[in-house]
Amino acid sequence: MIFGKTKLELKVGIFTFVGLIILVIFILSIGGFKTWSLGYDFSVNYQFVNGVKVGAPVRFAGVDIGEVRGVVLEFVPEENRTNVRLDVWVRSNARIPPDSTVWVNTLGLLGEKYVEIIPGKDYANALKDHQSITGIDPLPIHEIFNRAENIMRNLDAGLTKIMNKEGSLGKFIYDDALYNDFEAFAADIRKNPWKLLYKSKEKK
Amino acid sequence: MLNLLFVDLGRKIIVFMYFFGGLANLAIQTVYLTFKPPYKYDHIIEQSKRAGYESFPIVSVVALFIGFIFALQSAYFMQRLGAEMYIASLVALAIVRELGPVITALVVAGRVGASHTAELGSMQVTEQIDALETLATNPIKYLVVPRFVALGLMLPILTLYADILGILGSYLICVFKLGITSSMYMNITFTSLAYKDLFTGLFKAWIFGMIIALVSCYEGFNVRGGAEGVGKATTRSVVISFLMILAADCLFTALFYFIFP
Repeated sequence: MIFGKTKLELKVGIFTFVGLIILVIFILSIGGFKTWSLGYDFSVNYQFVNGVKVGAPVRFAGVDIGEVRGVVLEFVPEENRTNVRLDVWVRSNARIPPDSTVWVNTLGLLGEKYVEIIPGKDYANALKDHQSITGIDPLPIHEIFNRAENIMRNLDAGLTKIMNKEGSLGKFIYDDALYNDFEAFAADIRKNPWKLLYKSKEKK
Repeated sequence: MLNLLFVDLGRKIIVFMYFFGGLANLAIQTVYLTFKPPYKYDHIIEQSKRAGYESFPIVSVVALFIGFIFALQSAYFMQRLGAEMYIASLVALAIVRELGPVITALVVAGRVGASHTAELGSMQVTEQIDALETLATNPIKYLVVPRFVALGLMLPILTLYADILGILGSYLICVFKLGITSSMYMNITFTSLAYKDLFTGLFKAWIFGMIIALVSCYEGFNVRGGAEGVGKATTRSVVISFLMILAADCLFTALFYFIFP
Protein backbone atom coordinates (compact mmCIF):
# COMPACT_ATOMS: atom_id res chain seq x y z
CA MET A 1 0.00 0.00 0.00
CA ILE A 2 1.30 3.46 -0.87
CA PHE A 3 0.44 6.43 1.30
CA GLY A 4 0.28 10.16 0.55
CA LYS A 5 -0.45 10.04 -3.17
CA THR A 6 -4.17 10.67 -3.66
CA LYS A 7 -6.22 13.89 -3.71
CA LEU A 8 -8.39 12.29 -1.03
CA GLU A 9 -5.51 12.08 1.40
CA LEU A 10 -4.55 15.68 0.57
CA LYS A 11 -8.06 16.93 1.48
CA VAL A 12 -8.21 15.00 4.74
CA GLY A 13 -4.64 16.08 5.49
CA ILE A 14 -5.38 19.79 5.04
CA PHE A 15 -8.55 19.48 7.09
CA THR A 16 -6.83 17.70 9.98
CA PHE A 17 -3.74 19.93 9.90
CA VAL A 18 -5.75 23.16 10.12
CA GLY A 19 -7.82 21.59 12.92
CA LEU A 20 -4.66 20.80 14.88
CA ILE A 21 -3.40 24.37 14.32
CA ILE A 22 -6.67 25.66 15.82
CA LEU A 23 -6.17 23.31 18.78
CA VAL A 24 -2.66 24.70 19.34
CA ILE A 25 -3.97 28.28 19.07
CA PHE A 26 -6.64 27.49 21.66
CA ILE A 27 -4.17 25.85 24.03
CA LEU A 28 -1.65 28.69 23.79
CA SER A 29 -4.31 31.41 24.11
CA ILE A 30 -6.00 29.84 27.10
CA GLY A 31 -2.65 29.40 28.84
CA GLY A 32 -1.99 33.03 27.88
CA PHE A 33 1.70 32.19 27.17
CA LYS A 34 2.05 32.56 30.93
CA THR A 35 2.97 28.95 31.47
CA TRP A 36 5.87 29.22 29.06
CA SER A 37 7.22 32.66 29.97
CA LEU A 38 10.17 33.05 32.32
CA GLY A 39 9.75 33.96 35.92
CA TYR A 40 10.83 33.22 39.46
CA ASP A 41 9.24 32.06 42.69
CA PHE A 42 9.30 33.53 46.12
CA SER A 43 7.25 32.94 49.21
CA VAL A 44 5.35 35.24 51.53
CA ASN A 45 4.68 34.30 55.17
CA TYR A 46 1.40 35.15 56.80
CA GLN A 47 -0.55 34.26 59.91
CA PHE A 48 -3.88 34.71 58.15
CA VAL A 49 -4.65 34.95 54.44
CA ASN A 50 -8.44 35.43 54.36
CA GLY A 51 -9.10 32.70 51.80
CA VAL A 52 -6.54 33.32 49.05
CA LYS A 53 -6.73 30.46 46.53
CA VAL A 54 -4.19 28.91 44.19
CA GLY A 55 -4.27 30.90 40.94
CA ALA A 56 -5.13 34.20 42.58
CA PRO A 57 -3.46 37.12 40.76
CA VAL A 58 -0.45 38.95 42.18
CA ARG A 59 -0.29 42.68 41.56
CA PHE A 60 2.80 44.82 41.88
CA ALA A 61 2.09 48.56 41.85
CA GLY A 62 -1.38 47.69 40.54
CA VAL A 63 -0.18 45.61 37.57
CA ASP A 64 -0.80 41.85 37.24
CA ILE A 65 2.65 40.25 37.28
CA GLY A 66 2.04 36.68 38.39
CA GLU A 67 -0.05 34.31 40.41
CA VAL A 68 -0.23 32.31 43.61
CA ARG A 69 1.11 28.83 42.91
CA GLY A 70 0.61 27.28 46.33
CA VAL A 71 -0.91 27.84 49.77
CA VAL A 72 0.93 25.80 52.43
CA LEU A 73 0.17 25.51 56.14
CA GLU A 74 3.29 25.21 58.34
CA PHE A 75 3.46 24.63 62.06
CA VAL A 76 6.33 26.53 63.70
CA PRO A 77 7.19 24.61 66.91
CA GLU A 78 9.64 27.15 68.41
CA GLU A 79 7.08 29.96 68.26
CA ASN A 80 4.11 27.63 68.86
CA ARG A 81 1.97 29.02 66.07
CA THR A 82 0.77 28.18 62.56
CA ASN A 83 2.28 29.96 59.61
CA VAL A 84 0.70 30.23 56.15
CA ARG A 85 3.21 30.25 53.31
CA LEU A 86 2.03 31.58 49.94
CA ASP A 87 4.24 30.37 47.08
CA VAL A 88 4.13 33.11 44.50
CA TRP A 89 5.34 33.05 40.89
CA VAL A 90 6.07 36.36 39.15
CA ARG A 91 7.45 37.32 35.74
CA SER A 92 11.20 37.73 35.59
CA ASN A 93 11.03 41.42 34.63
CA ALA A 94 9.33 42.30 37.93
CA ARG A 95 11.94 43.53 40.44
CA ILE A 96 10.46 43.44 43.92
CA PRO A 97 12.28 45.25 46.75
CA PRO A 98 12.31 43.24 50.01
CA ASP A 99 10.87 46.17 52.00
CA SER A 100 7.69 46.15 49.87
CA THR A 101 4.34 45.92 51.60
CA VAL A 102 2.67 42.62 50.68
CA TRP A 103 -0.92 42.23 51.71
CA VAL A 104 -4.07 40.40 50.70
CA ASN A 105 -6.55 42.71 49.08
CA THR A 106 -10.12 42.19 47.95
CA LEU A 107 -11.75 43.23 44.69
CA GLY A 108 -14.90 44.87 45.96
CA LEU A 109 -16.25 44.15 49.43
CA LEU A 110 -16.88 40.41 49.02
CA GLY A 111 -15.01 39.89 45.76
CA GLU A 112 -12.02 37.86 44.72
CA LYS A 113 -8.92 37.90 46.92
CA TYR A 114 -5.58 38.80 45.40
CA VAL A 115 -2.06 39.58 46.60
CA GLU A 116 -1.18 43.26 46.38
CA ILE A 117 2.44 44.40 46.51
CA ILE A 118 3.11 48.09 47.17
CA PRO A 119 6.71 48.74 46.03
CA GLY A 120 9.33 49.62 48.63
CA LYS A 121 12.59 51.47 48.09
CA ASP A 122 15.33 48.85 48.50
CA TYR A 123 15.85 47.99 44.82
CA ALA A 124 19.53 47.13 45.39
CA ASN A 125 18.56 43.82 47.08
CA ALA A 126 15.55 42.95 44.89
CA LEU A 127 14.04 39.53 45.65
CA LYS A 128 15.60 36.51 43.97
CA ASP A 129 14.37 32.97 43.35
CA HIS A 130 13.12 31.09 46.45
CA GLN A 131 13.58 33.98 48.89
CA SER A 132 10.83 34.74 51.35
CA ILE A 133 9.38 37.87 52.87
CA THR A 134 6.80 38.52 55.56
CA GLY A 135 3.41 39.81 54.53
CA ILE A 136 1.01 42.04 56.39
CA ASP A 137 -2.02 40.07 57.56
CA PRO A 138 -5.33 41.24 56.17
CA LEU A 139 -7.93 42.35 58.69
CA PRO A 140 -10.44 39.54 59.18
CA ILE A 141 -13.91 40.57 58.14
CA HIS A 142 -15.31 40.10 61.66
CA GLU A 143 -12.68 42.51 62.97
CA ILE A 144 -13.92 45.13 60.51
CA PHE A 145 -17.48 44.50 61.61
CA ASN A 146 -16.44 44.73 65.28
CA ARG A 147 -14.85 48.11 64.74
CA ALA A 148 -17.82 49.36 62.77
CA GLU A 149 -20.10 48.15 65.52
CA ASN A 150 -18.11 50.04 68.16
CA ILE A 151 -18.36 53.24 66.17
CA MET A 152 -22.07 52.69 65.72
CA ARG A 153 -22.57 52.10 69.44
CA ASN A 154 -20.77 55.33 70.38
CA LEU A 155 -22.74 57.30 67.80
CA ASP A 156 -25.95 55.76 69.03
CA ALA A 157 -25.22 56.70 72.64
CA GLY A 158 -24.58 60.31 71.62
CA LEU A 159 -27.72 60.50 69.51
CA THR A 160 -29.85 59.00 72.30
CA LYS A 161 -28.64 61.71 74.69
CA ILE A 162 -29.53 64.42 72.21
CA MET A 163 -32.97 62.94 71.61
CA ASN A 164 -33.54 62.70 75.38
CA LYS A 165 -32.91 66.45 75.54
CA GLU A 166 -29.80 65.92 77.61
CA GLY A 167 -26.63 67.97 77.31
CA SER A 168 -26.27 71.37 75.72
CA LEU A 169 -26.83 70.06 72.15
CA GLY A 170 -30.06 68.34 73.20
CA LYS A 171 -31.29 71.48 74.94
CA PHE A 172 -30.28 73.62 71.98
CA ILE A 173 -32.37 71.52 69.63
CA TYR A 174 -35.40 70.77 71.80
CA ASP A 175 -35.64 73.72 74.26
CA ASP A 176 -37.56 76.76 72.99
CA ALA A 177 -36.21 79.11 75.70
CA LEU A 178 -33.18 80.21 73.67
CA TYR A 179 -35.29 80.81 70.56
CA ASN A 180 -37.87 82.82 72.52
CA ASP A 181 -35.12 84.91 74.06
CA PHE A 182 -33.63 85.68 70.67
CA GLU A 183 -37.00 86.57 69.21
CA ALA A 184 -37.81 88.91 72.09
CA PHE A 185 -34.38 90.48 71.78
CA ALA A 186 -34.78 91.02 68.02
CA ALA A 187 -38.24 92.53 68.49
CA ASP A 188 -36.93 94.81 71.19
CA ILE A 189 -34.01 96.00 69.06
CA ARG A 190 -36.28 96.64 66.08
CA LYS A 191 -38.53 98.73 68.28
CA ASN A 192 -35.76 100.58 70.05
CA PRO A 193 -32.71 100.62 67.76
CA TRP A 194 -31.08 103.29 69.94
CA LYS A 195 -30.37 100.57 72.50
CA LEU A 196 -27.51 99.34 70.28
CA LEU A 197 -25.71 102.67 70.66
CA TYR A 198 -26.69 103.21 74.22
CA LYS A 199 -23.91 103.08 76.71
CA SER A 200 -24.90 102.19 80.16
CA LYS A 201 -23.77 104.62 82.76
CA GLU A 202 -23.16 102.16 85.53
CA LYS A 203 -19.85 100.91 84.13
CA LYS A 204 -18.12 104.26 84.09
CA MET B 1 -58.87 0.19 27.69
CA LEU B 2 -56.42 0.72 30.56
CA ASN B 3 -55.26 -2.83 30.03
CA LEU B 4 -54.43 -2.10 26.39
CA LEU B 5 -52.57 1.05 27.39
CA PHE B 6 -50.27 -0.88 29.71
CA VAL B 7 -49.78 -3.66 27.16
CA ASP B 8 -48.81 -1.05 24.59
CA LEU B 9 -46.46 0.70 27.01
CA GLY B 10 -44.85 -2.59 27.99
CA ARG B 11 -44.36 -3.52 24.36
CA LYS B 12 -42.70 -0.17 23.68
CA ILE B 13 -40.34 -0.65 26.63
CA ILE B 14 -39.43 -4.13 25.40
CA VAL B 15 -38.78 -2.76 21.89
CA PHE B 16 -36.56 -0.08 23.40
CA MET B 17 -34.64 -2.67 25.40
CA TYR B 18 -34.15 -4.76 22.24
CA PHE B 19 -32.78 -1.66 20.51
CA PHE B 20 -30.45 -0.87 23.39
CA GLY B 21 -29.15 -4.41 23.57
CA GLY B 22 -28.62 -4.55 19.82
CA LEU B 23 -26.78 -1.24 19.86
CA ALA B 24 -24.56 -2.45 22.71
CA ASN B 25 -23.83 -5.65 20.79
CA LEU B 26 -22.86 -3.66 17.71
CA ALA B 27 -20.75 -1.27 19.84
CA ILE B 28 -18.80 -4.08 21.49
CA GLN B 29 -18.13 -5.87 18.19
CA THR B 30 -17.11 -2.59 16.56
CA VAL B 31 -14.67 -1.65 19.32
CA TYR B 32 -13.20 -5.16 19.29
CA LEU B 33 -12.79 -5.18 15.49
CA THR B 34 -11.33 -1.64 15.53
CA PHE B 35 -8.27 -2.91 17.38
CA LYS B 36 -8.04 -6.21 15.50
CA PRO B 37 -5.84 -6.27 12.38
CA PRO B 38 -5.96 -5.94 9.41
CA TYR B 39 -6.59 -2.19 9.47
CA LYS B 40 -8.41 -0.58 6.54
CA TYR B 41 -6.66 2.79 6.41
CA ASP B 42 -7.96 3.73 2.96
CA HIS B 43 -11.56 3.19 4.07
CA ILE B 44 -10.97 5.33 7.14
CA ILE B 45 -9.51 8.12 4.97
CA GLU B 46 -12.46 7.90 2.59
CA GLN B 47 -14.97 8.11 5.44
CA SER B 48 -12.97 10.91 7.11
CA LYS B 49 -13.28 12.94 3.94
CA ARG B 50 -17.04 12.39 3.87
CA ALA B 51 -17.55 13.05 7.60
CA GLY B 52 -15.01 15.82 8.16
CA TYR B 53 -13.87 17.59 5.03
CA GLU B 54 -17.26 17.62 3.32
CA SER B 55 -19.15 18.62 6.50
CA PHE B 56 -16.85 21.56 7.11
CA PRO B 57 -18.75 24.19 5.02
CA ILE B 58 -22.14 23.55 6.62
CA VAL B 59 -20.71 23.25 10.14
CA SER B 60 -18.74 26.48 9.78
CA VAL B 61 -21.71 28.45 8.42
CA VAL B 62 -23.97 27.18 11.21
CA ALA B 63 -21.35 27.97 13.87
CA LEU B 64 -20.81 31.47 12.48
CA PHE B 65 -24.55 32.18 12.57
CA ILE B 66 -24.81 30.80 16.10
CA GLY B 67 -22.03 33.19 17.13
CA PHE B 68 -23.82 36.16 15.56
CA ILE B 69 -27.15 35.26 17.11
CA PHE B 70 -25.73 34.51 20.54
CA ALA B 71 -23.90 37.83 20.69
CA LEU B 72 -26.91 39.84 19.54
CA GLN B 73 -29.40 38.09 21.81
CA SER B 74 -27.21 38.43 24.88
CA ALA B 75 -26.45 42.06 23.99
CA TYR B 76 -30.20 42.73 24.17
CA PHE B 77 -30.17 42.06 27.90
CA MET B 78 -26.55 42.81 28.81
CA GLN B 79 -26.81 46.37 27.48
CA ARG B 80 -29.49 47.11 30.05
CA LEU B 81 -27.05 46.11 32.78
CA GLY B 82 -24.20 47.93 31.06
CA ALA B 83 -22.31 44.64 30.96
CA GLU B 84 -21.51 44.28 27.25
CA MET B 85 -17.97 43.34 28.25
CA TYR B 86 -19.18 40.00 29.56
CA ILE B 87 -20.75 38.94 26.27
CA ALA B 88 -17.27 37.83 25.24
CA SER B 89 -16.84 35.43 28.14
CA LEU B 90 -20.47 34.28 27.99
CA VAL B 91 -20.21 33.41 24.30
CA ALA B 92 -16.78 31.77 24.68
CA LEU B 93 -17.92 29.53 27.53
CA ALA B 94 -21.26 28.64 25.95
CA ILE B 95 -19.75 27.78 22.58
CA VAL B 96 -16.65 25.93 23.73
CA ARG B 97 -18.38 23.96 26.48
CA GLU B 98 -21.76 23.27 24.95
CA LEU B 99 -22.91 24.71 21.64
CA GLY B 100 -19.82 23.84 19.59
CA PRO B 101 -19.95 20.07 20.25
CA VAL B 102 -23.74 19.79 20.19
CA ILE B 103 -24.38 21.87 17.07
CA THR B 104 -21.59 20.06 15.23
CA ALA B 105 -22.95 16.69 16.28
CA LEU B 106 -26.52 17.55 15.24
CA VAL B 107 -25.40 18.83 11.84
CA VAL B 108 -23.21 15.78 11.26
CA ALA B 109 -25.97 13.42 12.45
CA GLY B 110 -28.35 14.96 9.93
CA ARG B 111 -25.84 15.01 7.13
CA VAL B 112 -23.51 12.04 7.55
CA GLY B 113 -25.57 9.77 9.80
CA ALA B 114 -28.53 9.85 7.41
CA SER B 115 -26.33 9.06 4.45
CA HIS B 116 -24.73 6.12 6.30
CA THR B 117 -28.15 4.68 7.12
CA ALA B 118 -29.40 5.10 3.54
CA GLU B 119 -26.22 3.57 2.13
CA LEU B 120 -26.11 0.57 4.44
CA GLY B 121 -29.90 0.19 4.22
CA SER B 122 -29.93 -0.07 0.46
CA MET B 123 -27.02 -2.51 0.67
CA GLN B 124 -29.10 -4.54 3.08
CA VAL B 125 -32.26 -4.62 0.94
CA THR B 126 -30.25 -5.57 -2.18
CA GLU B 127 -28.59 -8.33 -0.10
CA GLN B 128 -25.09 -6.96 -0.63
CA ILE B 129 -24.36 -7.34 3.09
CA ASP B 130 -25.22 -11.05 2.90
CA ALA B 131 -22.96 -11.26 -0.15
CA LEU B 132 -20.10 -9.77 1.89
CA GLU B 133 -20.58 -12.48 4.48
CA THR B 134 -20.49 -15.23 1.87
CA LEU B 135 -17.16 -13.75 0.71
CA ALA B 136 -15.85 -14.26 4.28
CA THR B 137 -15.72 -10.50 4.88
CA ASN B 138 -17.08 -9.34 8.20
CA PRO B 139 -19.54 -6.55 7.31
CA ILE B 140 -18.90 -4.84 10.64
CA LYS B 141 -15.17 -4.79 10.02
CA TYR B 142 -15.65 -3.67 6.44
CA LEU B 143 -18.50 -1.14 6.81
CA VAL B 144 -18.91 -0.04 10.43
CA VAL B 145 -15.35 0.23 11.74
CA PRO B 146 -14.15 2.82 9.16
CA ARG B 147 -17.23 4.98 9.79
CA PHE B 148 -16.88 4.60 13.56
CA VAL B 149 -13.20 5.56 13.59
CA ALA B 150 -13.63 8.38 11.07
CA LEU B 151 -16.55 10.00 12.90
CA GLY B 152 -14.78 9.63 16.25
CA LEU B 153 -11.70 11.37 14.90
CA MET B 154 -13.39 14.00 12.78
CA LEU B 155 -16.04 15.28 15.19
CA PRO B 156 -13.53 16.80 17.68
CA ILE B 157 -11.72 18.48 14.77
CA LEU B 158 -15.00 19.82 13.37
CA THR B 159 -15.85 21.01 16.87
CA LEU B 160 -12.59 22.98 16.99
CA TYR B 161 -13.59 24.68 13.73
CA ALA B 162 -17.07 25.36 15.11
CA ASP B 163 -15.60 26.81 18.33
CA ILE B 164 -13.28 29.21 16.56
CA LEU B 165 -15.91 30.27 14.01
CA GLY B 166 -18.60 30.77 16.66
CA ILE B 167 -16.22 32.99 18.61
CA LEU B 168 -15.39 34.80 15.36
CA GLY B 169 -19.09 35.44 14.70
CA SER B 170 -19.61 36.93 18.12
CA TYR B 171 -16.33 38.88 17.74
CA LEU B 172 -17.64 40.53 14.57
CA ILE B 173 -20.85 41.63 16.30
CA CYS B 174 -19.12 42.83 19.47
CA VAL B 175 -16.32 44.72 17.73
CA PHE B 176 -18.22 46.28 14.84
CA LYS B 177 -21.66 46.70 16.40
CA LEU B 178 -21.21 47.09 20.14
CA GLY B 179 -17.89 48.95 20.05
CA ILE B 180 -15.78 46.66 22.24
CA THR B 181 -12.14 46.92 21.21
CA SER B 182 -10.61 43.95 19.46
CA SER B 183 -7.79 43.25 21.91
CA MET B 184 -10.16 43.63 24.86
CA TYR B 185 -12.52 41.07 23.32
CA MET B 186 -9.75 38.53 22.76
CA ASN B 187 -8.36 39.09 26.23
CA ILE B 188 -11.72 38.54 27.96
CA THR B 189 -12.48 35.51 25.80
CA PHE B 190 -9.27 33.68 26.59
CA THR B 191 -9.00 34.63 30.26
CA SER B 192 -12.50 33.25 30.88
CA LEU B 193 -11.70 29.91 29.19
CA ALA B 194 -9.86 27.13 30.98
CA TYR B 195 -8.33 23.94 29.63
CA LYS B 196 -11.10 21.87 31.17
CA ASP B 197 -13.71 23.80 29.14
CA LEU B 198 -11.94 23.01 25.87
CA PHE B 199 -11.17 19.37 26.64
CA THR B 200 -14.55 18.43 28.08
CA GLY B 201 -16.09 19.89 24.91
CA LEU B 202 -13.79 17.84 22.69
CA PHE B 203 -14.42 14.70 24.75
CA LYS B 204 -18.15 15.15 24.31
CA ALA B 205 -17.65 15.60 20.57
CA TRP B 206 -15.76 12.30 20.42
CA ILE B 207 -18.61 10.51 22.25
CA PHE B 208 -21.19 12.12 19.93
CA GLY B 209 -19.23 10.97 16.87
CA MET B 210 -19.27 7.38 18.07
CA ILE B 211 -23.00 7.60 18.86
CA ILE B 212 -23.78 8.88 15.36
CA ALA B 213 -21.75 6.13 13.69
CA LEU B 214 -23.23 3.31 15.79
CA VAL B 215 -26.86 4.44 15.56
CA SER B 216 -26.74 5.11 11.82
CA CYS B 217 -25.06 1.78 11.05
CA TYR B 218 -27.41 -0.11 13.39
CA GLU B 219 -30.45 1.34 11.66
CA GLY B 220 -28.89 0.64 8.26
CA PHE B 221 -28.32 -3.02 9.08
CA ASN B 222 -31.88 -3.36 10.40
CA VAL B 223 -33.68 -2.16 7.26
CA ARG B 224 -36.55 -4.42 6.20
CA GLY B 225 -38.90 -4.04 3.26
CA GLY B 226 -37.40 -2.34 0.26
CA ALA B 227 -37.14 1.35 -0.59
CA GLU B 228 -39.82 2.38 1.87
CA GLY B 229 -37.93 0.66 4.70
CA VAL B 230 -34.78 2.58 3.78
CA GLY B 231 -36.67 5.88 4.06
CA LYS B 232 -38.20 4.94 7.42
CA ALA B 233 -34.84 3.74 8.77
CA THR B 234 -33.15 7.00 7.71
CA THR B 235 -35.75 9.07 9.56
CA ARG B 236 -35.46 6.87 12.63
CA SER B 237 -31.67 7.03 12.52
CA VAL B 238 -31.64 10.85 12.57
CA VAL B 239 -34.29 11.10 15.28
CA ILE B 240 -32.61 8.52 17.53
CA SER B 241 -29.19 10.11 16.95
CA PHE B 242 -30.53 13.53 17.99
CA LEU B 243 -32.16 12.09 21.11
CA MET B 244 -29.12 10.08 22.11
CA ILE B 245 -26.75 13.00 21.49
CA LEU B 246 -28.80 15.26 23.75
CA ALA B 247 -29.20 12.54 26.39
CA ALA B 248 -25.45 11.84 26.36
CA ASP B 249 -24.79 15.58 26.50
CA CYS B 250 -27.01 15.89 29.55
CA LEU B 251 -25.26 12.96 31.22
CA PHE B 252 -21.72 14.15 30.53
CA THR B 253 -22.46 17.78 31.40
CA ALA B 254 -23.78 16.65 34.77
CA LEU B 255 -20.82 14.31 35.21
CA PHE B 256 -18.22 16.99 34.39
CA TYR B 257 -20.07 19.48 36.56
CA PHE B 258 -19.47 17.25 39.57
CA ILE B 259 -16.01 15.94 38.59
CA PHE B 260 -14.49 19.32 37.66
CA PRO B 261 -16.39 21.89 39.71
